[in-house]
Amino acid sequence: MTAFTRRTLVKGAAAAGVLTGSGLTDWAKAWAQTSPFRPETGATLNLLRWRRFVEAEDAQFNRMVAAFTQATGCRVNVSSESFDDVQPKASVAANTGTGPDLIWSLYSVPHLFPQKCLEVTDVADYLGKKYGGWVPLAEAYGKSAGKWISIPVAVNGGYINYRISMLKAAGFNEVPQDTKGFLELCKALKAKGTPSGFPLGRATGDGNAFAHWLLWSHGAAQVDERENITINSAETRAALRYAKELWDTFIPGTAAWNDSNNNRAFLSGEISLTANGISIYAAARVSQDAKQREIAADMDHAFWPIGPIGKPAEIQLAFPMFGMTYSRFPNACKAFMAFILEAENFNPWLEAAEGYLTHVLNAYDNNPVWTRDPKARVFRESAKRSFPAGYRGPINEKAATAIADFIVVDLFANHCTGKEDVEGAIRLAERQLRRIYR
Amino acid sequence: MADAAVARTEARPMPGEPSAWQQLKVNRNWLGFWFMVPAMAFLVLFLVYPLGKGLWMSFTDARIGREGRFVGLENFEWLSDDSDFIRALIFTIVFTFVASAVKFAIGLYLALLLNNNLPFKAFVRSVVLIPFIVPTVLSAVAFWWIFDTQFSVITWGLVKMGLIDRGSPINWMGDPFMAQCVVIFANIWRGIPFIAITLLAGLQTVSPSLYEAATLDGATRWQNFRYVTYPLLTPIIAVVMTFSVLFTFTDFQLIWAMTRGGPVNATHLMATLSYQRGILGGNLGEGAAIAISMVPFLLAAIMFSWFGLQRRKWQQGESND
Amino acid sequence: MTTTAGTDLKNPAASGAFSRSAAKDDHSEGMSYLESLPRKTVTVYIPLFIIVVVLLFPFYWMFITSIKPDQDLLDLHGGNPLWVSEPTFRHFYKLLFESNYPTWLWNTMFVAVCATFLSIVASVLAAYAITRIRYKGAQTVGGLIFLAYLVPPSILFIPLSTIIHVYGLFDTPFALILTYPTILIPFCTWLLMGYFKTIPYELEECALIDGASRWQILVKIIIPLAIPGLISAFIFAFTLCWNEFIYALTFISSNPNKTVPTAIVSEFVDGDVFRWGSLMAGALVGSLPLVILYAFFVEHYVSAMTGAVKE
Repeated sequence: MTAFTRRTLVKGAAAAGVLTGSGLTDWAKAWAQTSPFRPETGATLNLLRWRRFVEAEDAQFNRMVAAFTQATGCRVNVSSESFDDVQPKASVAANTGTGPDLIWSLYSVPHLFPQKCLEVTDVADYLGKKYGGWVPLAEAYGKSAGKWISIPVAVNGGYINYRISMLKAAGFNEVPQDTKGFLELCKALKAKGTPSGFPLGRATGDGNAFAHWLLWSHGAAQVDERENITINSAETRAALRYAKELWDTFIPGTAAWNDSNNNRAFLSGEISLTANGISIYAAARVSQDAKQREIAADMDHAFWPIGPIGKPAEIQLAFPMFGMTYSRFPNACKAFMAFILEAENFNPWLEAAEGYLTHVLNAYDNNPVWTRDPKARVFRESAKRSFPAGYRGPINEKAATAIADFIVVDLFANHCTGKEDVEGAIRLAERQLRRIYR
Repeated sequence: MADAAVARTEARPMPGEPSAWQQLKVNRNWLGFWFMVPAMAFLVLFLVYPLGKGLWMSFTDARIGREGRFVGLENFEWLSDDSDFIRALIFTIVFTFVASAVKFAIGLYLALLLNNNLPFKAFVRSVVLIPFIVPTVLSAVAFWWIFDTQFSVITWGLVKMGLIDRGSPINWMGDPFMAQCVVIFANIWRGIPFIAITLLAGLQTVSPSLYEAATLDGATRWQNFRYVTYPLLTPIIAVVMTFSVLFTFTDFQLIWAMTRGGPVNATHLMATLSYQRGILGGNLGEGAAIAISMVPFLLAAIMFSWFGLQRRKWQQGESND
Repeated sequence: MTTTAGTDLKNPAASGAFSRSAAKDDHSEGMSYLESLPRKTVTVYIPLFIIVVVLLFPFYWMFITSIKPDQDLLDLHGGNPLWVSEPTFRHFYKLLFESNYPTWLWNTMFVAVCATFLSIVASVLAAYAITRIRYKGAQTVGGLIFLAYLVPPSILFIPLSTIIHVYGLFDTPFALILTYPTILIPFCTWLLMGYFKTIPYELEECALIDGASRWQILVKIIIPLAIPGLISAFIFAFTLCWNEFIYALTFISSNPNKTVPTAIVSEFVDGDVFRWGSLMAGALVGSLPLVILYAFFVEHYVSAMTGAVKE
């Protein structure tokens, strides 16, 4: 059904009206009359987005798209790509000056080519004023050189996923909220034969989340505020040593893991604890397989533990949407971005995502998705607890390059797999950072 | 056409008399040109600009969405000191060498086996081609699963046979060396059919009477192969291996779908590294420099397999007179 | 040749890596009547069986995955992963009836057929010109065509995509139809050059004397004689088109225009969840047309290649 709905809706206005609740359409029509952002007449938008993680989210998104078309007459063709393939396509589009009008991508991708992104300061101001202001993270991701170049629609929170029963068997009732206790937990889990596992491979979401947490929670960072390289520090050494100890408690093979491996290992019961979005839980909960539903009942989520830095230090996967300067319909781009973040659209969509996506506008704190299921509650905080990519430095093309090149992930992977000692791993990372931040 | 066939025997050009070939010499160059137009048009329209642009980019600090400044050899200097690049270079060479050698050995062996009188010959031959047919990305995904550390069916088999303990599975893809072996294996798997079938074709040109004669002279099986089959096969071996080396050296899909260059950059080939740095990292200049650094090695590899194999033929001829 | 074999016997053979294995089984059809069955079993059937099993195992794995119910895919130690007790065709059903798969298959077919056709036409002309017209510089041009393979596509598709945009081909099948020949022409040209060389010159000379034009010669004499060569070039080119990934990923953006390999990956990988069953079903159904093609043509392929190497 979903596949059917999605394709049909994407095709545009004609089919859309039939399937959309008239409530949304009526509101959308009113919105189109009063909104400060009006698409050019005859505008058509091509939107490239990341491929959904949660089916219901995708369906709801397409409902918004259809309502937008109904209300404004502007067609929106949505195409989705696996989330690792969005960036190369965006890069090609930016470089050749043709392609999708709107791109919805990950992390700091718009900062790879800020001068090709449509300025959307007016949209950001409008939404910020109306919905209780942007969280600082959103501002960091959205702005380049004082101008908004993208609208950070949401972030994907990634937190500790664990099996309640396995934790109990290892003598813990909950995940300790300090790095030291967390290490003890992982050791105990390994001793019980139910090890944990975090990816240190080419895992854009989960691998970066794990590696950046290791680095930042120990007070280390790749650069300081003025972009001086600070990776060669006592804090980094401490983080590397801690990482190695933690690594020794993992299930084998995580150096090759990408974003999908930990889902599979967790759902098959091979591991007791990992870091992931809510997608494992969301998939297991509605699975046709009774075993999966049991796992869903037996699992819960927890924040990343707090390290020597003494405060939450996480990186969460941001999903910024940006228009391209070459688009012939800049106003339609702006109108669309404003439209989807309006409460009438955004609230149902956030609910449909089942906690997979976290809002970055303060007013959405009260969305029922955060209270309906206590197991989703931690994800509400993800936008507020996250540091931006490239922390402590500013988000710019250098920070974007560093994260795209997996510098921090490789720093830890090099050391944990035994390929480099502490000094060697730091030296390699420092060398690459020097070139990026030259 | 029948006339032409009949006329063939008597129409040999007499010495001194201008033949039809010579008469055409006047416009031959033009004629050749017209026949070359379609092929050249494709290559010129779609390859010359990218190659030129790529060469130029490798001397600039171009980034995605921004033209670069000319920086001379800076990219190459940086790469010459970059341990990931050096390792990718070495791995590319090892990968090409090992995979091509094994593909050749097994491919030739398979061709010799298939050259027998077998029941269901056509069926067996087309079945052998299957690895060549399945879209690479998807067979890579299957391999990725077959060699997953937790879910490997091979590990499962070894555990069942009692060879290894379930608690300590083989770390296929997580260990850098094992991962390198796995991607080489996958490349070999994919490449064998093409080599085997092409060499099989070559084998069929060898007249059975040669073997009979050699056997009457007292040649053993091995001598039969070494001194009858192999020399006759040399031209096609040279061509097949040149193409094999070429496609192996520039392999991208397989690595990208299986490992993305990981773990810890151990399985990066130059092609994947240039994609990682140039497209994902946004450093077009550096990515282009990596791609351009492939060219001399590629050229050397081609020269080696082409002339190296041709030379064998020549050496043999010399030792025989 | 017989004497060669005879005189060289005393030379200790400088054997390649393959020598040991190859030595055991060196016999061709010409001698096979000398074989006894038990011996043939050991030297031919068993090694052949082993190699075929290794070659087909991943394919079998894909097949078994594509008919497994989802829950079995995660159950590692419960049953035999090589077998499936309750096969399901849900993945195939989903693929064929709930996705755009038929469209993608059609696109792939269309692109592959057109690109292959164009490449072969261009290659026939080029190969004929190089081997038969032998214009000035023919050898050099032959070499230059080969150099097209030195262009590594992993990075150069960025400038190439600029061209695609300039020509206005982006997100159309023509973006692929017109770029694939750059990969195909060199190989096809080489293959056909080898093949054309086997066709006796005399045939052509007679026709020339009879007043036939070059074009008539090509169409009426050379091409009919080179049909097996064309088939093998076709098969090779077609397979490459069918499998191509980078260009298809970059130059095609909308879902209904995609080709099978890229569409399968983007459709059946949901964020961090791989839909194994559907992915593998897609791989199998996607290979099916080629399997059929090969089953029909593999003998032609072999004989065509045979022709190409006889010089």
